Amino acid sequence: MTENSPFTTTAHERRSLSQENRFRLLFLFMAVVLVLPVLGILSVLVLRGSPGISLDFLLEDPRNGMKEGGIYPALIGTLWLTSCALAVALPLGVSAAIYLTEYARDNWFTRLINLAIINLAGVPSIVHALFGVGAFVHFLQFGHSILAASCTLAVMTLPVVIIATRESLQAVPRAFRDACWSLGATRWQTIWRVVLPNSGSGILTGIILVVSRTVGETAPIMFTGAAFYMQYTPESIFDQTMALSLHLYNVSTQVNDVPKHLPFSVALTLIGVVLTMNAAAIFLRMKLRGRKKW
Amino acid sequence: MKTIPIAVLTSALAFVACTKSNRTLIQNAGSDTMLEVAQALAETYGKEVSGVSIAVKGGGSQVGISGIIDGTIDLANSSRKLKPEEVEAARKKNHEPVEHHVGYDGIAIYVHKENPITSLTIEQLKQIYMDNGKLTKWSQLGVTVTAGMSDEIILISRQSNSGTYEYFRESVLGDKKTNFRLGTRDMNGSKDVVDLVTKTRSAIGYSGLAYANAEVKLIPVAKKDGEKAILPTIDSVLDKSYPIARPLFMYTVGQPKPAVQQYLDWIKSDAGQRVLVANHYPPLRKL
Repeated sequence: MTENSPFTTTAHERRSLSQENRFRLLFLFMAVVLVLPVLGILSVLVLRGSPGISLDFLLEDPRNGMKEGGIYPALIGTLWLTSCALAVALPLGVSAAIYLTEYARDNWFTRLINLAIINLAGVPSIVHALFGVGAFVHFLQFGHSILAASCTLAVMTLPVVIIATRESLQAVPRAFRDACWSLGATRWQTIWRVVLPNSGSGILTGIILVVSRTVGETAPIMFTGAAFYMQYTPESIFDQTMALSLHLYNVSTQVNDVPKHLPFSVALTLIGVVLTMNAAAIFLRMKLRGRKKW
Repeated sequence: MKTIPIAVLTSALAFVACTKSNRTLIQNAGSDTMLEVAQALAETYGKEVSGVSIAVKGGGSQVGISGIIDGTIDLANSSRKLKPEEVEAARKKNHEPVEHHVGYDGIAIYVHKENPITSLTIEQLKQIYMDNGKLTKWSQLGVTVTAGMSDEIILISRQSNSGTYEYFRESVLGDKKTNFRLGTRDMNGSKDVVDLVTKTRSAIGYSGLAYANAEVKLIPVAKKDGEKAILPTIDSVLDKSYPIARPLFMYTVGQPKPAVQQYLDWIKSDAGQRVLVANHYPPLRKL
């Protein structure tokens, strides 16, 4: 090997290569550090919670001061709250996003709306909870009910829906709209037939985020419609309900002499619900993405 | 058209969701002290009577009382009597509060199970908890400080909207104006107090008798120096020998609707009172 061969690495190249390696390892380390807590949480929950999970646990009512039995009313209650919140947040959020991307001109009014959305996203959930009590429970007279709780959750998750929808609408190429308009379609026809069908996967991503947040939220429902204990599952949106997240809080802090595994089992179920709902949405999104032609 | 089935489905769902349920809903909220027993009462009542659905919530006596003032709940749990200004506030909104005495509660003094202290007097408790009180160290109470225990008494108290907090202030500190010592750890629930005591060797805390467990020690309390110190039990609260005990109330707005009245009657009956005893709450009378 001769020193002067044009293909040997120079000292400068070796230095930059080793620097390259150092940074790669540093970022790899950061990425691993990020994954560690997730793995830690999941393994603790599975190890300590899974002994308590069974079909009976999911399908039975809580018994003996909530120390025994299952979590059926809480599980069903969470499904009620989440679906009702989605039913309110989706139409509102998607319509708002459509207005902002497809209709609105860039003027002070639009900028004001955008500013409001960003600020709404930054409001802590406990403040949303207090707003929900004032606005839905008292002012609109919904009382402590699923309706009031879902509306509070919906207001809280609206920014996420709007921002996710807006991004996915903007991702639809401008040329699609131009082509549609030049064929004589109206603005609404373009939105309904071309823009929306092509942005479904992005909107679904928004829903995934909303569902995960809604299922886990405790403060907004605690004040507005979730109960410590109910014997029955809700029958209408005017009922109160138990909810998994609040049940987890209660069995960990409020109930005396709970079996050690119970809070972990409830937490595991809560994560299970989130993951199942997410998995369904991800599956749907993959199917929709497959249809994309660009 | 594929939108038609979706529209039909949505309206069907909306219809199902909006029909009023056939069950009578009783909204029961308030005192954290009474939360466990309220839950047990609702659970047992639900087994005996059908058609009534009781929603139980905690939050503190103040939450229940606010609910009665605003008329948003049917039945408020309160571990203290309504204050005159609260009665006034409720009357202003045409909600006449009606009081129902449902049981008793002993407020037990909790310390770590390895703490050697054997008894306390009300005066000592006052000096421990009161702002500028004289007792701040375990050694002042004749306790030999062991390893893992600091000499300073770590005071555990409750958040200020708690009925237990109010009652302890009145019955131990003397009146409503005396302040607690600065730097108490104020916990948000009866159970939190006991939990913290199990983990803290030099702590002292007060909480409902029903929250006792094997990890903590209950301290017998004497009314005055020289009198016999009494351990809090259901019997000693019932015969009034234990000094820090209080009645538990439920409040309704005006005369309650029939379903609520039936529930209240059942709570005061032997069947309901047995639920109290099973949860370590002293009943209205000897059963």
